[in-house]
Amino acid sequence: MLITVFNAILIILITIVSYKYFSLRESFGSEKHRATAYAEALGTITEKIEAYENSHVNAMAAMAIEIGKARKLDPEQLDALTYAVWLHDIGELLLPRELLKSSEKLSRQNLFLLRTHPLLGEFELKNRCSVYDEVPAIIRWHHERWDGNGYPDCLKGEEIPLCSRIITLVDAVSAMKSNRPYRTRTMSHREVLRELDLQAGLQFDPELVEIFKGLYPESKEELH
Amino acid sequence: MIRLQSSWLLESAGEVASVDSIFFPFIHRYSSLNWFSRRGLELTINTPLDSQAMLMRVWLDARKGPFSEKNRRKFNQLIKKPLELDMNPFRNWNDRLFSRQQLDYLFYWREAAYEIEDQAQREIFWGSVYGIMSYWLSNRRVNREPAYQPDEIMHLVLNLHQEHCENQDAELILLNSKFEELSPPESVLAVFPLVFTDEEDEEFQLQSIFHAWYHGHADVEQARRDIKNQLRQYSFSTEKKTDFSTLLKLSEKSEVVAICWSGVELPPKIHEQEIIEPFRREFVHRFSRSQFSIKTVNPARDSYDYLLLFFN
Repeated sequence: MLITVFNAILIILITIVSYKYFSLRESFGSEKHRATAYAEALGTITEKIEAYENSHVNAMAAMAIEIGKARKLDPEQLDALTYAVWLHDIGELLLPRELLKSSEKLSRQNLFLLRTHPLLGEFELKNRCSVYDEVPAIIRWHHERWDGNGYPDCLKGEEIPLCSRIITLVDAVSAMKSNRPYRTRTMSHREVLRELDLQAGLQFDPELVEIFKGLYPESKEELH
Repeated sequence: MIRLQSSWLLESAGEVASVDSIFFPFIHRYSSLNWFSRRGLELTINTPLDSQAMLMRVWLDARKGPFSEKNRRKFNQLIKKPLELDMNPFRNWNDRLFSRQQLDYLFYWREAAYEIEDQAQREIFWGSVYGIMSYWLSNRRVNREPAYQPDEIMHLVLNLHQEHCENQDAELILLNSKFEELSPPESVLAVFPLVFTDEEDEEFQLQSIFHAWYHGHADVEQARRDIKNQLRQYSFSTEKKTDFSTLLKLSEKSEVVAICWSGVELPPKIHEQEIIEPFRREFVHRFSRSQFSIKTVNPARDSYDYLLLFFN
């Protein structure tokens, strides 16, 4: 008798705990889904300010995730990478708009100003958002170069976090395949691969270039 | 590996003192100072290694100007026929570190530069080889054939140097002294990028190879020992007791001392116990206050950047 009552209580307890667990998981899931949608929206607003005509950040995110998976990033890191892709140029929202739309060669002073955007992005995100605390750092270094001649910190090689190196690569690829104010035409996939070959070991991590070429070989003419 | 976050360092130190001059008794990689060299600060930078001191003169000091067009035409030549390998002092590196063609150029560039009369111009030519070695080695690590031919990459690196000359804006004092012979300058901020005795990353390997090349031999192991030996008084160990007297002496005229390093695979708590506490114990006699900051890089790998400031 006592055992039956105990079993009944146990079953009720398990049911309550399971219910709570699944409802909590659902609410977290939907919260994450909403946050993701907002981050994505923010990314597309930024790309409009940067005068991109097509979906620059979505193309970047798709490529970044594929490369991240090939480099065996865990789901948490892939999430951080995706957020960082969407928000990588958020610092540009704080810069004068005419600076971003200019097709003229930038003066030294304006170039300096433009190059503060990774720092502004990192600073604002760090102060306003405490989840995924590696995302601001990824954003800070998305204009570093493998050879140590990037900005803001002139990091070199593996000093640059892997996620930032991935963003550097996919940002450049997406830009090469998009209409830009400073260029008369978009580049073909073959031309993009040639450019990546030239910049492997200079602007880009050579290993990531190889991974990219494996994922998007010359026969796959269209990336988008 | 150290990620020197220049703006973070300057902002943090700027909160406790007005920083217009900085002293680096040692810098782990010359190009990590590019950000500072464009800020109109007074920088005193030292390295005990002659090969790294040469790179600092070339890449941080714009006063000597870019490599001249005349010298480019004369010395950045295409090698049409392979050179005699037996004559090449770097032949031991063949297929281990560099290709046969690359070895020909490493030999030719080193020897040809002796014909450049102006020492600053010669050093620019030699200094460019560091970037080229880095390009070749990083492609080699993933079995890639570099896309640029040697003379093309030399041309690109010389262009990059020219850009550096146009953007450099600091008042520089570049030193090449042993730590025991170095007098501390009156810089507001003294920065110590932390070098760990047991750490040897890809940059260290590159520096060893370049050091050997600069001295005209192929013994990378000897170069490695030379570098380690030069850094003996400066490097920090968690395994055995570190002698802090050199660091204390080198910072005695500064208002603020910054210790910076990057860590991976170990949680911040361990860094607090093993690094921060020993430093605090040693520096407490000179500085009444300290401030410790951490920046997250990749929490999945316990990768963080650390900054420890001492001030009054």
